[in-house]
Amino acid sequence: MPRETFQQELDELIGEVLDLGTEVEGSLENTVKAMETRDARIAEKELGVDIHYKARGAEIERDCMILQARQAPVARDLRLLYTVQSVTNHLVRSGTLTEHICHAIVDTAGCERDEDLEATLTEMARTARNIFGEGLDIFKNRDIERARNLQAKDDKVDLLYSEALNLIANPSDGGGGAPEWRMRAALIVHYLERISDHGVDIGGSTVFLVTGERIEDAMQQYLERNIDQDEE
Amino acid sequence: MDYEKTGEERRVSEISRDHRDTRERFEEPPSGTQGTPASGMRVENLSAYYGSFKAITDVSLDIQANKVTAIIGPSGCGKSTFIRCLNRLHEVVPGARAEGSVMLGEQNIYGKNTDPVNIRRRIGMVFQKPNPFSKSVYENVAWGARINGYRGDMDELVERSLRQAALWDEVKDRLKESGLGLSGGQQQRLCIARTLAVEPEVILMDEPASALDPVSTQKIEDTMDELKQSYTVVIVTHNMQQAARISDYTGFFYIENMGDPGRLWEFDDTEKMFSNPDRKETEDYVTGRFG
Repeated sequence: MPRETFQQELDELIGEVLDLGTEVEGSLENTVKAMETRDARIAEKELGVDIHYKARGAEIERDCMILQARQAPVARDLRLLYTVQSVTNHLVRSGTLTEHICHAIVDTAGCERDEDLEATLTEMARTARNIFGEGLDIFKNRDIERARNLQAKDDKVDLLYSEALNLIANPSDGGGGAPEWRMRAALIVHYLERISDHGVDIGGSTVFLVTGERIEDAMQQYLERNIDQDEE
Repeated sequence: MDYEKTGEERRVSEISRDHRDTRERFEEPPSGTQGTPASGMRVENLSAYYGSFKAITDVSLDIQANKVTAIIGPSGCGKSTFIRCLNRLHEVVPGARAEGSVMLGEQNIYGKNTDPVNIRRRIGMVFQKPNPFSKSVYENVAWGARINGYRGDMDELVERSLRQAALWDEVKDRLKESGLGLSGGQQQRLCIARTLAVEPEVILMDEPASALDPVSTQKIEDTMDELKQSYTVVIVTHNMQQAARISDYTGFFYIENMGDPGRLWEFDDTEKMFSNPDRKETEDYVTGRFG
């Protein structure tokens, strides 16, 4: 097959992205564990990962730029480089948000908490982690059928988001925990919702990679498909 | 059309008609930059043969006026044969013939009463290797127009043609020097100017930059945008990036099995062909996976 070197460089690039994704997924997993076990020491280990992820992301972007300059990619190769840059951006942003959550966990380690709100946050974190992991897996395996269903799973996060905000705005009889914790909880809710969206977008980027179909079009198809299902 | 005469017979009959055609062309309105707008072309079920060998089969596509259409594909897939069918140059090869329909505007160029010499004036061609006449730069441009009975200001025509071919600034002080003394890139642009001077409606280019250095190639490419304002351009190229850069539409020719005739495998907007083509073979070719 011609262009073996180019293909090898593309394979290596995908490997770099998947490695980065696995690391961010690991950070997210630790964040969930820290929330489940109320163990701030686990979260503390993740402080400082942001700068590392950003550096990795910059390396991948540079590699993409060099490949574009040297190899003049078109069609699926061009879509791949575009998707790699897009996915890398989602990964780095997710990594940054994960560190923000860990900071919040560490900073509020001794604060009194609202059990209902904490349970909601933890459930939201698990769901966001699962969606993020699934988005990454879809990219790895080019499994676009799952990508088309990922948006539906994100609906659960949106539901938990509303529930958490409601608990923050309307504390239970017990007082709703320390004000600082509740303030940080509001931010965590937002960060988790964003991480979940990044996972969905990684899946959407994979649809574009495989089919050339724009992400927005894929979402439109998803919406139209729901209408059809409702009709049935 | 189904032209059945041999290439040689046709050449003789064409020459005998040439004088009459020239007189007729005195009465024709000019085209190109000074006259009628460029025409589009419609190709339907075009097949071309060399003797019993079928080189291309069943090609149908619309060539849009005032656009650049690129023809790409691996070697031997029939790109040059196709483009030569568009101005009836294919049939000058002994034993070669074409079947199907090729419309230039409203005229079937293979119609019974259509004169191929006139068609070749309306549909000019630039070849892979620059082939200027052994004449001055000025005469290279003026000659075709003169024998076609051009009665306007020849100096103005020569300058305009050379400007359109992005060559004027480089040769304006050496118009009386031999065209053969120019560099390869300049010679090719001189051939483009020569083609423009007879004011065709369509310009066919068969790998016009394949023998040129990158700077000359760039200059040829830079002329494309201007040329399509006045002409319809069809270009055969092996340079995928060139097709992506300069064309509005791209046709991919492909031979499925060795010995089969070439087919138009996919035809679409260039943007689509180089970002998300419909067929795997097209994608494999444009990404350099074969060919």
